[in-house]
Amino acid sequence: MFTPKLKEALDHVQKPGRYTGGEPGCVIKDKSKVDVRMAFCFPDTYEVGMSFLGEKILYDILNQHENWWCERVFMPWTDMKAEMERLHMPLYALESKDPVREFDIVGFTLQYELSYTNILAMLELSGIPFYSKDRDENDPLVIAGGPCVCNGEPVAPFFDVMQLGEGENMLQSICAEVEKAKKEHLPRKELLLRLAKIPGVYIPAFYDVSYLPDGRIEKIRPNEPGIPAVVTKDILKDMNSYEPPRRFVVPMVGAVQDRASVEVLRGCVRGCRFCQAGFLYRPMRERSPELLDSAAHDLCRNTGYDEISLSSLSTSDHSGLEEILDRMNTWAEGEHVSLSLPSLRVDNFSESLIEKTNRVRKSGLTFAPEAGTQRLRDVINKNVTWEEIERTCTIAFRSGYTSVKLYFMMGLPTETMEDIEGIAETAQRVVNLYYSLPDKPKGKSVQVTISVACFVPKPDTPFQFCPQDTKEMLEAKQKHLLESVHSKKIKVNYHASDTSYLEAVFAKGDRRLAPVILDAYRHGCYFDGWEEHFKYAEWLECFDRAGLDPQFYSRRVIGLDEVTPWSHLDYGVSHDYLVREYQKAMQGVTTRPCNRACSGCGANHLLGGPCFEYDQNLVH
Amino acid sequence: MNTIRIWFTKTGEASYISLLDLQRVMHRCLKRSGLPVWYTMGFNPHIYLTFACPLPLGQESLTECVDCKTEQETPDFEAWKQALNSVMPLGIVITKVEKAGLKAEHIGFARYTVTSRDERMAGALQEYNALPSAIVQKKSKRGMKEIDLKQHIPEIHAEACAEGCRFTLLLPASDTLNLNPALLLKFVEEHYAIPAVNSDVLRTEFLAKNGEKFC
Repeated sequence: MFTPKLKEALDHVQKPGRYTGGEPGCVIKDKSKVDVRMAFCFPDTYEVGMSFLGEKILYDILNQHENWWCERVFMPWTDMKAEMERLHMPLYALESKDPVREFDIVGFTLQYELSYTNILAMLELSGIPFYSKDRDENDPLVIAGGPCVCNGEPVAPFFDVMQLGEGENMLQSICAEVEKAKKEHLPRKELLLRLAKIPGVYIPAFYDVSYLPDGRIEKIRPNEPGIPAVVTKDILKDMNSYEPPRRFVVPMVGAVQDRASVEVLRGCVRGCRFCQAGFLYRPMRERSPELLDSAAHDLCRNTGYDEISLSSLSTSDHSGLEEILDRMNTWAEGEHVSLSLPSLRVDNFSESLIEKTNRVRKSGLTFAPEAGTQRLRDVINKNVTWEEIERTCTIAFRSGYTSVKLYFMMGLPTETMEDIEGIAETAQRVVNLYYSLPDKPKGKSVQVTISVACFVPKPDTPFQFCPQDTKEMLEAKQKHLLESVHSKKIKVNYHASDTSYLEAVFAKGDRRLAPVILDAYRHGCYFDGWEEHFKYAEWLECFDRAGLDPQFYSRRVIGLDEVTPWSHLDYGVSHDYLVREYQKAMQGVTTRPCNRACSGCGANHLLGGPCFEYDQNLVH
Repeated sequence: MNTIRIWFTKTGEASYISLLDLQRVMHRCLKRSGLPVWYTMGFNPHIYLTFACPLPLGQESLTECVDCKTEQETPDFEAWKQALNSVMPLGIVITKVEKAGLKAEHIGFARYTVTSRDERMAGALQEYNALPSAIVQKKSKRGMKEIDLKQHIPEIHAEACAEGCRFTLLLPASDTLNLNPALLLKFVEEHYAIPAVNSDVLRTEFLAKNGEKFC
């Protein structure tokens, strides 16, 4: 297992523990007794990938099948990549240390557009051909899942199979078909035809895309009989039918999110118009407090973690949150476990929630008003008012918090300089509020941090039709924000806009971008999501060589009736609904959360009935 | 309150766990084991743990130890060992659990086995044996320090083995002077061009300052 070559490589790299495996909780099987081997590849570093809950869920489910073995693979950092190339070591899976190329299935999760080049790096290190069309019977099946599959077209030519929606059932069906196909010695193409019948499975090679002279898409058509014109995502209809994992692989080299975590609900009722996850994961489905409590308890016992997070897109929207916390508090303190809620909302934050989550250090609190003025918050449907921010911060300051982090976006549709000034004003009002409270923490100063991200219009949201601000526009707004802040108690963080620009291009891109991504990789671009490795000028040259204008994807207004690159990929929310929401946004009209009133997005078809019992008031 | 000493191996995968990470790993494994270990009473209670003489990253050991405390009056050491072995990462095997004897500061020496895969090593060691002195730079808290290896390792006798050759070293491992075989391997790399990575280091034993077995 530990060959002298591997030892030599590990001797020359930073944090070798990222490349050894063997962590508590990792699954080791006898490969002679295994029928299907899957390499679960995360196209970023170990520390980032080991923080990802989706991988833990699927790793647990697949490995419960005695004759399947799912192993983990991460993108080696630049020093390890160089060592592996120097020593001619192929990419290996952490559990068995066997080369990825020998696996039946090589699965990548597409979490972030700027990790696309890392996928190519991992394929190359494995010795697997980049393009699906160049692979044959001896190559593994290269598959993808995760949110970016909703428009994975820029990388679609690299994948044999893509999965739309939730993987719990789909991935097991794929493994079962692969197991059967191996026993039957089925040709690759026949296997793909069988896989295409699994709900949510999309085989890019079975679709032809034609373009209009101006570069827009003319048509997307299946090119094989029996292949559906539109692929609909798969979901778990009942979240209680699948238990959250009761065991994790516990990283030994610190992961970014190094704690236990249970997924309390999936989806989100809020309908913030910029938020892709809010539309992709519809409809909202909760797990029962009883199941969550028991899974959380087992997970803490099985991992030894002393912190557990109740995770989801919007945990405080769970209708039984207080019950979950009450149940967990019966054992948490006695077993030295603290509870944390990662995504609190300003509109239903309460003193009792603060009490029930015994955070160890009462130092920081994070909220996301997203926009600086009520007008713009209405446009993006972030239904948060200044009064709610004020109420929340008052509670927090009185409970001993002295620093508040406020998340905003810049470059939102209809935004003006007035909205940018609103960001600074909001922060200033929070500072003033602190000093106006007679019962604020004694002798302590307040710190308000504003973090401003650049808005990226994403597919499957009402803002998919909108252009992204140019670099110049964003830079002018950043400058104006800095000039509008007048207090030393306010700290402003913002990012360079170049990565957001590329993110927008890939988010709304089409299949013609695949060769550009490969060209960029060949010219040394990878780890693009890491600012120190992002080679903006190199990317621009690659687009130039391909004769493609990146602004065609990021800056162009998409017609409401246009065929988008993702129009054959159905996530449950109808096109008509996105158009309606877009039009309401332009009029500054808000939409109520979907547990209050159904706004008819269409995602209830995935359940086969209404998402909520509307006679109950679920919002507290 | 009893202080418990847990002896363990640190080989293979586990040899790449740094001391900082090892503290967290042990903390979680002890928590997972459900054993009645003592928590500090501070604002942020955590399991009391002390490691003796940490090993450099990538070296292996058959004889690492960590101390924790328990309020159990007569701990069942065999039961402790079993409970711990069921939760450890690959490469860490609990070899013994016992009531702590001497404190870690009484450790005086450590024994190592070095295995070289380089066929030139035996010859290089013969040349080393003939040297009057062998000066290396050692990083310490107060900057670089010069050490003459010959004062601590006058002669090395290597035996042929399947990988190449093998030899043992007995080196100071006290709080005032701690020398690691890596210093010798660095010297051999610099003077005889034999890469240090071609040798594996395994710690096999601790001795107390009086030369008796440390336990």
